[in-house]
Amino acid sequence: MITQFTPDSARSSRRIAPRVVLAYALVFSTALCLSAPIDASASTKSSVIVAVGAENEYANVLSQIGGEYVKVSSILDDPNTDPHTFEASPSVAEEIGRAQLIVQNGVGYDGFMNKIETASPNPKRKIVVAQDVLDLPTDTPNPHLWYSPKTMPAVASAIAKDLEKLDPSHAAYFQKNLASFNRSLQPWLRAIAAFKSKHHGTPAAVTEPVADYLLKAMGLRILTPFVFQADIMNGVDPAPEDISLEEGFFTKHQARVFCYNQQVVDSLTAVIKQTAVSAKVPVVGVYETMPTPGYDYQTWMLDEVKAIDAAITRHRSTEKL
Amino acid sequence: MHVVFESGFFTSAPVRTALIIGAVTAMVSSVVGVFVVVRSQSFAGHALTDVATTGGSAAFFFGLSPLLGFIGGGVIGAGAMDLIGVERERRRDLATGIVLGTALGLAALFLYLDTTKGATTGATQQLLFGSIFTVDPSTVPLVLGLSALGLAIVVLINRPLLLSSLSAELTRARGINLRGVGVLFMIAMAVSVGLSSIAVGSILSTALLIGPAAASIRLTKSLHASLMVAGVLGVATTWLGILFAYDSFYWVPSSQGLPVSFFIVSLIFIAYLMSGLPFVRRRFDRPPRANSAGASNQASIEALEVGA
Repeated sequence: MITQFTPDSARSSRRIAPRVVLAYALVFSTALCLSAPIDASASTKSSVIVAVGAENEYANVLSQIGGEYVKVSSILDDPNTDPHTFEASPSVAEEIGRAQLIVQNGVGYDGFMNKIETASPNPKRKIVVAQDVLDLPTDTPNPHLWYSPKTMPAVASAIAKDLEKLDPSHAAYFQKNLASFNRSLQPWLRAIAAFKSKHHGTPAAVTEPVADYLLKAMGLRILTPFVFQADIMNGVDPAPEDISLEEGFFTKHQARVFCYNQQVVDSLTAVIKQTAVSAKVPVVGVYETMPTPGYDYQTWMLDEVKAIDAAITRHRSTEKL
Repeated sequence: MHVVFESGFFTSAPVRTALIIGAVTAMVSSVVGVFVVVRSQSFAGHALTDVATTGGSAAFFFGLSPLLGFIGGGVIGAGAMDLIGVERERRRDLATGIVLGTALGLAALFLYLDTTKGATTGATQQLLFGSIFTVDPSTVPLVLGLSALGLAIVVLINRPLLLSSLSAELTRARGINLRGVGVLFMIAMAVSVGLSSIAVGSILSTALLIGPAAASIRLTKSLHASLMVAGVLGVATTWLGILFAYDSFYWVPSSQGLPVSFFIVSLIFIAYLMSGLPFVRRRFDRPPRANSAGASNQASIEALEVGA
């Protein structure tokens, strides 16, 4: 029912005007109260450092270095979601607002972190960005830095440095943890070197660049054009030419292993995987975030290398770790 | 030859699937579209694309075939619009608008849940703007079957459909269930919208539904000629769009090509503009006349009365 605006209704609206004004004033003042900043430092006075890893692999390394003196949480840890399309919720924003130490990837992969950090400024908060630690430009095409063997040793020592600044009394403890973390990376690094010496130049196909840094470190030759990988990563339709090219790597038996991102799946990647399976090309599942439970960063990376090795030497698929 | 068809066009599997699905869906859309334009139900047609979006996004979230989601959403939306009263002239736009808004809200919910809780990537892009080169070839039989269903409905009810859009009283006098005809037609519309959502995306499927039909009605006088020309225009624009999208890969060095839906919709727009040119109309050997659906209504009712 639409009310006609007549002189009559104009009179009646004048009568209720004070109430309307009151209601608006109430709403306005409530909004004003809600917009006042909340003091975030109150809850963090205890000796334990509150830390956040944007992705669970960084959170894992954080807790390995910080041990009992940090309380670590991670934002991205669901192996069934695609981190590229993650949207932050209010509770995540609060978690990040409280943190004294944050570790994130950078290169636009976790841009939502920057937004929340700017929204809740804290001059005492320390932020370790893998991109900055490695001194990489913002337009680095492949953001999956944690697959590179160079990344975590550098990030871990940056974490140890910041933890010492936040809690100088336990500097020796953090240094000891850093040393044992670096030691525990050795089996992975040795497996990479051993694979490379035997299988250098082996052709591989991928859906997207998630594990490319690792594959290159292992000496594999990636057949899939980067444009195609970027299209799948960004959720854009690849060109039909590239789809035919990718399927040809399997039907013509050019690729000897197919690294399939288990966290970025659509109807196209499913069809491509089917092509690989029917051409009997072994499939290895790779992940954006650390599969849980049961893994830490080192064992996860080691198992990826083992799975690729099994694909090449024993022709065995490891679709899920 | 290579100037027009870049290498591999005829041997590429994604292109072959796209050509089959594109032709069939364009044909159904154009034929159904002629009736949509004659019945002045373009807005309802667009609303159905929005409910199809909802169905498609729900299908993505629950891991079902998007095609079934598009069509399921469309059919449910058609039912909802009928319940609220899409057939009653005065409430029609209101009912349509309300269903449309609710549907898009639900689509927003499903897409949010899908991106935050599911592993699918690029669902939004694929849903709204289509992804004809990435259609799973195993869905082709389903597409063919549904197309046959959509066409069968329209062929079966074409006379009461036309008559009811011209004069409700006359239709009722002949003992035809007006509401039944309306609902059946909405189902045919939902099927055709669902099918073209696969080709050009759910939002753009309106273009394929009413574009070729509107252009052909401008050019032709009889219903049969309209249906023929609309079908030809629909298939031609779709196939040309696929060809341009394929060729665009080679237009810029190291590019990834441009989206099919952009080309198809642009070609439909050009076809519609050209159908208004006096030169083109003279080619169709008919004196220029009012380009409204009313004129062809008049022509159609004459044809119908002669036929009856």
